[in-house]
Amino acid sequence: MGEITELLTLMIPAMVPFLLAAQGTVLSGRAGVFNVSQEGLMVLGAAVGFLVSFKVGSNTVGMAAAFAIAGVFGLVLAYMTTQLRLDQFVVGLALYFAALGAAGLLYREVIGVTMEPPLIPTLEDKPIPLLSDIPFLGEVLFDHDLVVYLAFAISVAIWWFMYKTRSGLAFRSIGENPKAADSLGINVTWARTWSTVVGSGLVGMAGAYLPMVYTGLYTEGMVAGRGWLVIALAFLGGWRPHLVIAGAAFFAGMEVLALRAQVAGIGIPHQFVLMLPYVATLLVMVFAFRWARQPSFLGRNYDRESRLVG
Amino acid sequence: MENPRLEMRGIVKTFGPVTALDAVDLVVGRNEVHGLLGGNGAGKTTLMNVLYGLYRPNAGEVLLDGQPVSIGSPKDAIAAGVGMVHQTFLQVDNYTVTENIVLGTDVPGPLRLDLTEARERIRELSERFGLTVDPDAVVEELPVGVRQRVEILKALYRGAKVLILDEPTTNLTPQEVDDLFGSMRAMVDDGMSVVLITHKIRETLSVCDRMTVMRDGRRVETLERSDTDAEHLAEKMVGSTTDPGAVVEAAALGAVDAEAVEETLSSVGTTIAVAVRDLVVVNDQGHELIRGFDLELREGEIVGIAGVAGNGQVELAEALAGVRPLRAGSVEVSGRAMGGLATSSWLEHGVAYVPEDRHRDGILPTASITENLVLGSQRSPKVRRFGLIDWGAAKQRAVDAIAEFSVRANGPGTLVGDLSGGNIQRVILARAFARRPRLLILHNPTRGLDIGSTRFVYQQVRTATAAGCAVLLISEDLDEVIALSDRVIALYQGSRAGEWPHGSVDAYEVGRSMTGLGEARV
Amino acid sequence: MTAPPATPPAAPEAAGPRRVADALWLVVPSVLSVVAAFAVGGLIILALGQDPVAAFESVLTTSFNTRFGTVETLHKWVPVLLCAYAFAIPLATGKFNIGAEGQLLVGATGGVAIGILWSDLPMLVLLPCVLVAGALAGAVWSGIAAVLMVKFNVNEILSTVVLNFISFQLIDYVASHVWPDRGAGHPATVRVGEGALLPGIGQAPPLHSGVIITLVLVVAIAIFMRRTSTGFEMRAVGANLRAAQVHGIRTSRLAGAGLVVGGAVAGLAGAIEVAGVHGKMLEGMQSNFLILGIIVGLMSRGSMIAIPFIAFGIAVLEVGAGSMQRTAQVPVEMVLIIEALILLFLLLSDIARAKLRRN
Repeated sequence: MGEITELLTLMIPAMVPFLLAAQGTVLSGRAGVFNVSQEGLMVLGAAVGFLVSFKVGSNTVGMAAAFAIAGVFGLVLAYMTTQLRLDQFVVGLALYFAALGAAGLLYREVIGVTMEPPLIPTLEDKPIPLLSDIPFLGEVLFDHDLVVYLAFAISVAIWWFMYKTRSGLAFRSIGENPKAADSLGINVTWARTWSTVVGSGLVGMAGAYLPMVYTGLYTEGMVAGRGWLVIALAFLGGWRPHLVIAGAAFFAGMEVLALRAQVAGIGIPHQFVLMLPYVATLLVMVFAFRWARQPSFLGRNYDRESRLVG
Repeated sequence: MENPRLEMRGIVKTFGPVTALDAVDLVVGRNEVHGLLGGNGAGKTTLMNVLYGLYRPNAGEVLLDGQPVSIGSPKDAIAAGVGMVHQTFLQVDNYTVTENIVLGTDVPGPLRLDLTEARERIRELSERFGLTVDPDAVVEELPVGVRQRVEILKALYRGAKVLILDEPTTNLTPQEVDDLFGSMRAMVDDGMSVVLITHKIRETLSVCDRMTVMRDGRRVETLERSDTDAEHLAEKMVGSTTDPGAVVEAAALGAVDAEAVEETLSSVGTTIAVAVRDLVVVNDQGHELIRGFDLELREGEIVGIAGVAGNGQVELAEALAGVRPLRAGSVEVSGRAMGGLATSSWLEHGVAYVPEDRHRDGILPTASITENLVLGSQRSPKVRRFGLIDWGAAKQRAVDAIAEFSVRANGPGTLVGDLSGGNIQRVILARAFARRPRLLILHNPTRGLDIGSTRFVYQQVRTATAAGCAVLLISEDLDEVIALSDRVIALYQGSRAGEWPHGSVDAYEVGRSMTGLGEARV
Repeated sequence: MTAPPATPPAAPEAAGPRRVADALWLVVPSVLSVVAAFAVGGLIILALGQDPVAAFESVLTTSFNTRFGTVETLHKWVPVLLCAYAFAIPLATGKFNIGAEGQLLVGATGGVAIGILWSDLPMLVLLPCVLVAGALAGAVWSGIAAVLMVKFNVNEILSTVVLNFISFQLIDYVASHVWPDRGAGHPATVRVGEGALLPGIGQAPPLHSGVIITLVLVVAIAIFMRRTSTGFEMRAVGANLRAAQVHGIRTSRLAGAGLVVGGAVAGLAGAIEVAGVHGKMLEGMQSNFLILGIIVGLMSRGSMIAIPFIAFGIAVLEVGAGSMQRTAQVPVEMVLIIEALILLFLLLSDIARAKLRRN
């Protein structure tokens, strides 16, 4: 009992970076923009979130700053792909490099080389009244920091927007057939732009959560490929927000299990245990690419006056 | 005209150096079906895309009900009461009929999704205009004729006063065409105006009240139905009827009765070049789209396959080109069994394929003409020297091909993606003929081409048959099939549904067979 | 999944004056992009309160001031160039290989394994074995992604990237459990045998002869892509997969082969790093070669001929970055930002050029 509760309780916050970043990826992806700069945006989000929190003394402001800076990168991606029609992967990779560079530069400029690494306070748990008193479930689900609740709320909101509103119906059509959407007066450029900005912002927030949740420290490799796993997660969830929640639980579960096994020392060299989430990702993708659907126009730019499209 | 519904004045549209529309005027009255007639590339669709806000004109103005309107996007066009049904349907495949129709409209509230009212209105509209559909069906599962009704309903749902139909009959059977024309009548009786874009003279004569003929991006003439006949329209469309080549071509465009064209150039030999037995082919989803198909082609013979798109044409073409594996049955080319061989072996054995979708299947857009001409024979000893590709020799052959096939390009280094559709088709034909094929498969070879290029394709086919090449012509343009083929075979649901020798083909009879209604005369 | 950005190299048939004009259209925007990127970088340095002139001076001159700088630059050029090929060769078929660092590390592992296990063999036998083992190991590593892509349709961007993270753990295991050097104070293997080391050229500090191997490879790859049937087929697949298929090219097999060849080149880079620079395998030896390789590959925009030159430019910047941080107090990351900016400006210049040439 205790062991399982503890693992599940650890898994929920571990889901947060996956959830925020994957929902951000799904958001722009359903409009057809395939962002591949997540890894860079998460690193930049982590650095900016940490530095702003450190200087201002507020994690909330740090989170907001991470959202904003990643949103600016998203705006560049949106502009270069919708207006200039540059290849989405190439621009995404260029932004990934720029974000990595910016993250390192900012940290070195603000902190410099220090003997003692600077610390920020970690996020406090805010149990939800009444709900957190439910045995087992209360402990697992309703006794976490506010960002956990926010991440789940955002996931539900994106799902509701996409599937339960008229605007969402219009929005999803852009990733399937932008020419059809355009011919019906739906603004393709605008939808792609706002969703890429907001989606990238969420990726930045996902990065900022990392230094705030466990140690209060910023380290260079702390994102550790989560930005790439998030893309795998979007494919695994078939680019549908509700399935992404389930997928995030899987990825977070692997991560928690690997750490647990490493600490417990189960007789295998820890390197192989740490490989586990990545190996599992590879295996899972074999199935994901079998059955999961993806937006038909994912990763492709739309040019109204191109005589070749459609 | 008193009080016209729509006026377009002096519309100019250029694409880079190409002038697609050169000061075009168009006047459409109320309660009128207006035919917009012209060959491919005449500018009909471009003009209507301007009206629908898909293209911004460089000059000119548009008036609706006498009021100047500024249409910068499809949204403006819809608001102004203009609806358009494109040749390729603009639908979201995995949405239902209702979802596709309400997409982009205001029902109800942006943050809710209640489709009950919409569903009712769609039912009501489809009954009023005879456009039967199930509002809850997912569109990707519907046949072409029904998907077209969805497109029309989309415009009607938005309260279109002017409905533009772009070549709406291309993929329909003659019976479906009659139904569509009936619906169009019902719409104009209801107070709407309909613009019918077409290159088929027969259609304009049977349904239009007035018609405007276009050629080379200009308006040639606007006529009342009662003041004109097929000969006159053909002359206006083609430009002249003194050129003998134009007659065959006009026949293919539907201007003249195909039977009138005496096929003196036929060169059918006696040797069997290609034998297909009990052919079964599956599509990408594993469905059998060609079932038990038999075919014999003699040297120098043109066999035409007529059919409604989606009855297995793509699968048949790709199977006979060696691109798609045979599920069962056999294909023999010059006595050699081809089943199971790699695509490259089919190519080496003299099978040449001119695919339907030139841009997708035919060319390397970012490569030069030279490189495109080498494509497919890069391993042949003809292009290699000491095991490496000899680009110098390849370039020389490209220069020759450009001259022989009159490709309009700056030189062999021109990127093929920068060429026009007609010139791309010339490059593809040059590549196909350079292999001296035994079997040439043409799929919709003239779709989207201007008159000059269409004529050129027909000439090249004749040259090939004269040299003994067997030609399989798969086309959705029934008139083209009837005019060119030594034999016509109707294809329905992957099987042959009838066969007629040249000279005894009745288009309606073929049409019935294409829809499974005919009595097979195999 | 998308139209690849790669355009096959311009056909060699353009005539004299046209050729000059074409070359100018290629060179002028590239130079302007570099200048613009440095200008923006200079503004950032100014905003940081440092001196951009001093910073750029040390970035651009360190490689040429001393023999040491030049040798270091060439030593950097080799892995950057090979990682650029590892990215660009699969890209010719439209596939993105983001796994060069994993392939490099596994290649290094393969090389180090042979170099340690057979350490007594003479150089004439051992050195070729080390290099071949590196290339093979890299090919096997990217081969996993190729199989997943060809057989199971798994997106190669994801699989190659995920394999990087697996390789980090793998080499950590090798360096701490299989052949650990306990005294190193950092996860590293013991040294390979003397016969596994690439001979040096010139007086101290010597240039390792991997540079010569790399030069030979440059010529071989150029001929392969331009003149062989397979190279042409790879470019055809990248230009239009469907059309290539219709014309008898076995596309998925070829795309898989592209990934495997790319992995082999990156694996060779790993073996050369072992045999020429480190003499052993150590954690972190992949440096930032993956990113630099991708940047070079993207900057070349499909031209295999341009890659060695661009890679040299990037190596100069990277060697200069360290001394910039020491002398001008501008963090090394500034160079990465400038590189990303050059790439973005190059992409923009393509659009500007297309617009200008049309008019």
